[in-house]
Amino acid sequence: MNTRAAMRFVDAAQDPWQPPSDAVAVPFAHALLSLDQWRATRNEWPASAPIGVVVANTVDVEVLTDDLPRWSLVALQFPKWTDGRAYSQARLLRARLGYAGEIRATGEVLVDMLPLLQRNGFDSVLMRPDQDLDAARRALRFFAGHYQGDLIQSRPLFARIEG
Amino acid sequence: MYSYTDFDRHFVKARAAQFRDQLQRHLAGQLGEEEFRPLRLQNGWYVQRHAPMLRIAVPYGELSSRQLRQLALIARRFDRGYGHFTTRQNLQFNWIPLHQAADVMDLLAEVDMHGIQTSGNCVRNITSDAWAGIAPDEAVDPRPYCEILRQWSTLHPEFAFLPRKFKIAVTGAAEDRAAIGWHDIGLHLHKNGAGEVGFKVLVGGGMGRTPIIGTVVSSFVPWQEILVFIEAILRVYNRYGRRDNIYKARIKILVKAEGERFVEAVQREFRTILHNDAGGREHLIPQAEWDRVASHFEIPAGVRAHAAQANDADPAQGDVPLAYQRWLERNVHAHRLNGHRAVTLSLKRAGQAPGDATADQMDLAARLAERFSQGELRVTHDQNLLLPWVRTSDLRALWEAARQASFATPNIGLLTDMIACPGGDFCGLANARSIPIAAAIQERFDDLDLLYDIGDIDLHISGCINSCGHHHSGHIGVLGVDKDGAEWYQVTVGGSDGSALSGTAVPGKVIGPSFAAEEVPDVIEALIDTYRSNRVAPERFIDTARRVGVPAFRAAADAVRRATAHAEAAA
Repeated sequence: MNTRAAMRFVDAAQDPWQPPSDAVAVPFAHALLSLDQWRATRNEWPASAPIGVVVANTVDVEVLTDDLPRWSLVALQFPKWTDGRAYSQARLLRARLGYAGEIRATGEVLVDMLPLLQRNGFDSVLMRPDQDLDAARRALRFFAGHYQGDLIQSRPLFARIEG
Repeated sequence: MYSYTDFDRHFVKARAAQFRDQLQRHLAGQLGEEEFRPLRLQNGWYVQRHAPMLRIAVPYGELSSRQLRQLALIARRFDRGYGHFTTRQNLQFNWIPLHQAADVMDLLAEVDMHGIQTSGNCVRNITSDAWAGIAPDEAVDPRPYCEILRQWSTLHPEFAFLPRKFKIAVTGAAEDRAAIGWHDIGLHLHKNGAGEVGFKVLVGGGMGRTPIIGTVVSSFVPWQEILVFIEAILRVYNRYGRRDNIYKARIKILVKAEGERFVEAVQREFRTILHNDAGGREHLIPQAEWDRVASHFEIPAGVRAHAAQANDADPAQGDVPLAYQRWLERNVHAHRLNGHRAVTLSLKRAGQAPGDATADQMDLAARLAERFSQGELRVTHDQNLLLPWVRTSDLRALWEAARQASFATPNIGLLTDMIACPGGDFCGLANARSIPIAAAIQERFDDLDLLYDIGDIDLHISGCINSCGHHHSGHIGVLGVDKDGAEWYQVTVGGSDGSALSGTAVPGKVIGPSFAAEEVPDVIEALIDTYRSNRVAPERFIDTARRVGVPAFRAAADAVRRATAHAEAAA
């Protein structure tokens, strides 16, 4: 758990993940479904089609255990950037449910959330369009280490001290 | 005292650099006020009535003379020459311009201080018993656990945006001097039958609009498991605490609504982390870490040597002046070590707001700490400073020096040793002013003989329902309220912080409609007179208030109504 890939900044214009629409026939690759859409159509998707699912921050992620092996992307939501529920969801997806696919932060995602997102197991972000990419990259570089363990470094400082 | 490692020092500097970056983006217009606000709050910067307020963390109230001197320097250079010690053992400045904020953070970092998590919807600075490590009634010294908790809770990534603020208090003594029942989490260290150390854990206490005393969620969590247990509590709260209504967002509302289901959810989460989660056992505290941290809190060498050979004579023996006698009685406290006492420097005196200290006074207190107390001070929950390592043989000299420095008012625990928030004079949240009320009461009760006759009493004053002045837990509580744009004061009787003197923690009862500001001193006097005429020795105010009940106090207070009686007659 110590070497998760660097944070990826999603460019909305280049993003392959698309919600179903009338223009595209279902099933298709890189479909980004709501949880209800997934539940209604889960048997219609061929195993080869990468599936992404948007999970509201009120969902108890522990009920998703059976679905996760089928998903390549979980998009967690920040309806307001100060609503911290998705941090717990991401943490549980990684540490409790062993989910190894992409966890993406969506909604009101701001520069100064980046360190928290990364430490809780997110590996991609779709920032609010007005956010500055340089400032976001800078935000990830201030701290050389932290006291408590996280999804980047599971051991707390006291377990890392030599001796 | 805990002394910073290189890691700690780098960490605080990194935080200061991060804040400077955020502040610069804000000042450059790239980060709007709404989005900057939670960031500055989590670094201790509020925007108040006149200027930003900076709240500086004093971890579990422990302060070195070097740190206090730096605070004096900041007060002089950036503020208007004074600061305010709070009920949460922190220090606040009120006049520092925001554009100088990052410079002040750098100065704080020089002495291993900061404002991290002194505000915001996160785990706040941990508070504790100001007598930690020196109290004769202590079973377990809480400071090593406080420090481990401080480190664990600092910039915890999962719990930085909780539904609401989150306060943890820790004690290890028989007497509760940290008001743990009034906190989001109250931790009481004790030993079980086998002599093992663990925590009784209370959850869901809090003041504000809905005063509630914490519920016992576990009677014994082994100390090694406490970080995991708190992680479980915070995760349940982060997931299920209300976010739709700021007044119902504290954990106390969740605990009250869910009752036993909350307790079960925490226990289940705790077990799942330990037995299921990847890395779930990483935060069990190893003995080596406890040893490392505890080594910072060993008794200072000079103290140990003196305790081994001191002759612990009664300092009040012989012919001593009455003023000294009184100071010994009120401001000097028993110590667990032979030949030592703890001494309170009173920050409650005429002409200054409760808890305030000027830059000069801070320097003087630092000097007293260096001369008499191993360079160490504590900030107490009731807004005084405490010298923890004073030799009994030095008491007379300390008294003389403290008197000259205006710290020797012999009023600790008495009516004028009141708790008060800064109130409407400074605070942007306040509905009414606290300081003039405190000053008027100080003035009314300036006779020491009368104060001694009244005896032990907790008077707590808050300028608004946020309850920074802890009015709910006062034997007499005064709460500022706004009615039609005017300042009014609701008065309660019979509250308790949970100490032995005050009894089981409980909010006070309101004694009727609010009073006008100018009536408050009369009301306090009427309440005191009611006590004095009804008491049966050796009752204190709180005992009489409980036995006699609210109606007698209410009637006495109603008898001195003027403005309110008039307003009600007109209504």
